[in-house]
Amino acid sequence: MQGVPLVAYLGLGLFLFCTGVVGVIIRRNPIVIFMCIELMLNAVNLTFLAFAKYMPSKLPVGATPVADASTAGQVMVIFVMAVAAAEVAVGLGIIMAIFRLRQDVDIDEMNLLRG
Amino acid sequence: MNLPEWITPNLGVFMVIGGVAALAAVGVVVFNNAVRSALCLVVSFFMLAFLYFSLGAEMIGILQIVVYTGAIMVLFLFVIMLLNLGSLGSVIEKKDPKFIIGGAMGLAILLMVGSQVIVPLASVNQPKAPEGFGAPQTVGYSLFSTYLYPFEIASVLLLVGIVGSILLAKRRL
Amino acid sequence: MDNVGLIWLVVGLPIVGFLIQAFLGKRLIGNGGGKRLVGALAVAPVAAAFVISVMLTIDLAKLDPANRAVVSHGWDWIKIAGLNIPFELRVDPLTMMMALIITGIGSLIHLYATGYMAEEKDYSRFFTYLNLFVASMLILVLGNNLVMLFIGWEGVGVCSYMLIGFWYKDVANSKAANKAFIVNRIGDWGLTLGMFLLFVVVAANADKFPAADGRFLSYDVILPVIGDILKGMPGITTAIALLLFVGACGKSAQFPLYLWLPDAMAGPTPVSALIHAATMVTAGVFLLNRLYVIFELSPVASAIIAVVGAFTALFAALIAFGQTDIKKVLAYSTVSQLGFMFIACGAGAYWVGMFHVTTHAFFKALLFLGSGAVIHAMAHNQDMRNYGKLAKYLKITFATMFIGFLAIAGVPPLAGFWSKEGVLGYALANNHAMIGGINFSYIVGWVGLGVALLTAFYMARMTFLTFFSGQERWKLIPAHAEGHHDDHGHHDDHHGHHEHHAHHEDHGPDKHGFFYTDEEMAAMPHEHEHHHELDETHKPHEVPPSMWFPLVVLAVLSVGGGWVLNQNHLLEHWLYPPGTQHLQLEAHPHGIPLVALSLGAALIGIVLGAVFYWKGLPAKEGWDLAKWSPFRRAAADQFGYDNTMVTASVEGGRDLGIFLWKGADSKVVDGLVNGAGWVAGTLGKWFAFLQNGFVRQYALVMLVGVVVLLGALGYALKKVPDTSLSGYQAVPAGRGPALPGAEGGH
Repeated sequence: MQGVPLVAYLGLGLFLFCTGVVGVIIRRNPIVIFMCIELMLNAVNLTFLAFAKYMPSKLPVGATPVADASTAGQVMVIFVMAVAAAEVAVGLGIIMAIFRLRQDVDIDEMNLLRG
Repeated sequence: MNLPEWITPNLGVFMVIGGVAALAAVGVVVFNNAVRSALCLVVSFFMLAFLYFSLGAEMIGILQIVVYTGAIMVLFLFVIMLLNLGSLGSVIEKKDPKFIIGGAMGLAILLMVGSQVIVPLASVNQPKAPEGFGAPQTVGYSLFSTYLYPFEIASVLLLVGIVGSILLAKRRL
Repeated sequence: MDNVGLIWLVVGLPIVGFLIQAFLGKRLIGNGGGKRLVGALAVAPVAAAFVISVMLTIDLAKLDPANRAVVSHGWDWIKIAGLNIPFELRVDPLTMMMALIITGIGSLIHLYATGYMAEEKDYSRFFTYLNLFVASMLILVLGNNLVMLFIGWEGVGVCSYMLIGFWYKDVANSKAANKAFIVNRIGDWGLTLGMFLLFVVVAANADKFPAADGRFLSYDVILPVIGDILKGMPGITTAIALLLFVGACGKSAQFPLYLWLPDAMAGPTPVSALIHAATMVTAGVFLLNRLYVIFELSPVASAIIAVVGAFTALFAALIAFGQTDIKKVLAYSTVSQLGFMFIACGAGAYWVGMFHVTTHAFFKALLFLGSGAVIHAMAHNQDMRNYGKLAKYLKITFATMFIGFLAIAGVPPLAGFWSKEGVLGYALANNHAMIGGINFSYIVGWVGLGVALLTAFYMARMTFLTFFSGQERWKLIPAHAEGHHDDHGHHDDHHGHHEHHAHHEDHGPDKHGFFYTDEEMAAMPHEHEHHHELDETHKPHEVPPSMWFPLVVLAVLSVGGGWVLNQNHLLEHWLYPPGTQHLQLEAHPHGIPLVALSLGAALIGIVLGAVFYWKGLPAKEGWDLAKWSPFRRAAADQFGYDNTMVTASVEGGRDLGIFLWKGADSKVVDGLVNGAGWVAGTLGKWFAFLQNGFVRQYALVMLVGVVVLLGALGYALKKVPDTSLSGYQAVPAGRGPALPGAEGGH
């Protein structure tokens, strides 16, 4: 978008990311923690796209922008989305399983990792 | 009124959309009710999709709406509904030093990354991508030629995710 | 020599015998019936090895004297860059002579043992060890390199250990075996160090052995050249010689390390005869002869060897006067005679050392086997105070043992005379063993003459107390029963096996065949735990022919062996052919003075013995120790040496152990270990709260880590010039819009 500096997008992405981080740390509801992770992933996606847009092209003018920085960023976002979808599917499955087992999902009640 | 040169109408639009996205993100974290958090997240994702459009990445923007706000968030809401986590008190958020430490740490990351990344790039304000870089043709062409193998691997990953979630969710196999 | 490969049979046959005894022996014996077969299977390999050795020696004698050394390569054993140690056997005059002694005397003693051990339950175990010993000893002497010598050295050490402790149920025997083994460790330490030092010297001069192919420890490689190499370094030569001599001291029971040999008499008497008199203990003398080129280069080491030998000879001879156990007397006599051998080697007359080894093997084996016969006849009581007038009962034993006594006393023309004459003659006439201008050789020669007198004296004491001396003292046992088991333990040579005394009285030796028959052996009580004591009803009987036959053979050798070997320098030129002689030695002329002196010494000793002991056991040496003279009591106690050494090593070792345990280990080592544990535990306690299983807390900690890392990264990047835009600026002109940096800040 003409007239908007790159740092505006980057700053928004950074803010979203830090919000996600703080959310992961302070929330006990695993679903919300998952949402915060999604938030962080989206922040990264935004950054990818911003860089893709503002990165100078190395291709000759008018060439099809394949294998260029601009397409690389977008493809990366698609992969992140794929991973996020898989992660959500499995993660929510795990939460379901845990809930079925313990009738509770409070993450602070789970300390099976204690040595 | 003499506005500085860098304040443009486009920036105003960006500020509105980005501000809503940021607010919604904060809402995700602060609302105690998981349903509210989820709805905030939907709003935030919608706003991000608009920003993607504004960056010229139409394809990704559409994907964002379809996949995230359409599929993933619905999945979230379904789980919340199934587990009945929407009601208050099912998970009580207690006061905890983590609030302070986590907040401080988040702030620290914000400041440090910001100082290291934002400041040097402050002068970049001209989009340089070629015209039509976000069109589905371009992205699709790229995805099925240069990034064919990663794409295939991602498809396998999704398949594994499907199988895994079925395995986890089913009571009896 | 085409048939040199036969030498492998000489070593191989005893090994085969060992395997047969070890794996089939018990099965063949069955219920005690097959002992004759097992005994024959034990004797046969050694006897066959003896026959082969004789054949090889005859063939060797046909060769030119200068080339009498043939090496038979077996297989490569240790082969690495710069060092090659093959399994090779060497046929030369020295090795064949030792092989003849080992297999010849060995087969006689095996034969004897078939009778002596007839009542033994572990019959085949005994012959297992004995055959293994013969094989090890043959490897020791026949091997062509020092490592094979070391294998044999340790092999005979192990066999000696197992045979001393053969009757392991008596803890005293096990202790004696341990003592022999442990004291020999010191000697082996010296031997290995000497070997290493020699190897270092040889390997450093590898260019002088063009054809060696890395065989730096093989005799045929080093012996011709090592003399030239070592000539320039007297200090190293002396070091090598003395270290090797420490090894020889251990095996050959010389002064600081002789302690184990008297205790080794706890083993069965054939073992004492074979291992601790005739063969194994001469390994040290063999080593000196084998590497004489090194020893003769060092007058200092030679002098030390001679002095140690003389002191040992004197010391052991004096101790022998205080012994009442017949085998102990012979043990100290052995130590003393070994001293003579070292006197000869120290004086530079190495062949005389081997000469004395040979004659000593004859007469000392004879004496030991004779004492075994006496012990056998006297219900395994070894105390000479219980003997007396046995000449009447044991005619063959007496006749042969008396010959042995005359031979060791040095009465001409018996074997001992010639070799002892050689020892004293060379010692008195030469000046090889010199330190700082003092001719130790000469001094040592005179000491040796004195010891010769003492030898005749204490051997006369033993002989007269056993065979003559008035009365049959075992009939007086009840009279002095309190004083019977009093003192320095005369261990009965009988633990764990059983008496056939009653059986014995039923028929004399004439009823035996050459061996005990199977029926006789089967009839001997095995499971009956009664330990027969010598008492007044005892009636000694001559032993069976399988036991006296070796005595007769050895007696013949003791009579003629020395004279034959001394004719025309037979042995001297066999071992060291003329022209290859190393030192310019001259024997003391067999003129009147020396002969008169040594003959006089022998006669005086015998006469003294007769005077003191003909009539009976003097009260001063009787059952009541309190009546003994201080000298004799001290001698019985080895002049306190053994006790001192045992006390010092045991208590010193214990104190050192306690110090290391309580001081070093408990405080320092345990402190370190426990301290490390304590530090880890304490740190763990401090940090345990982190490991609480709460994932969010882990995430928080991780986040803190990320922040710290980012901070560090930022700090590190701060110093780098602002190049973060280079990716944007590096666009060539004409591709895309102009540089953002150039138009920034509008």
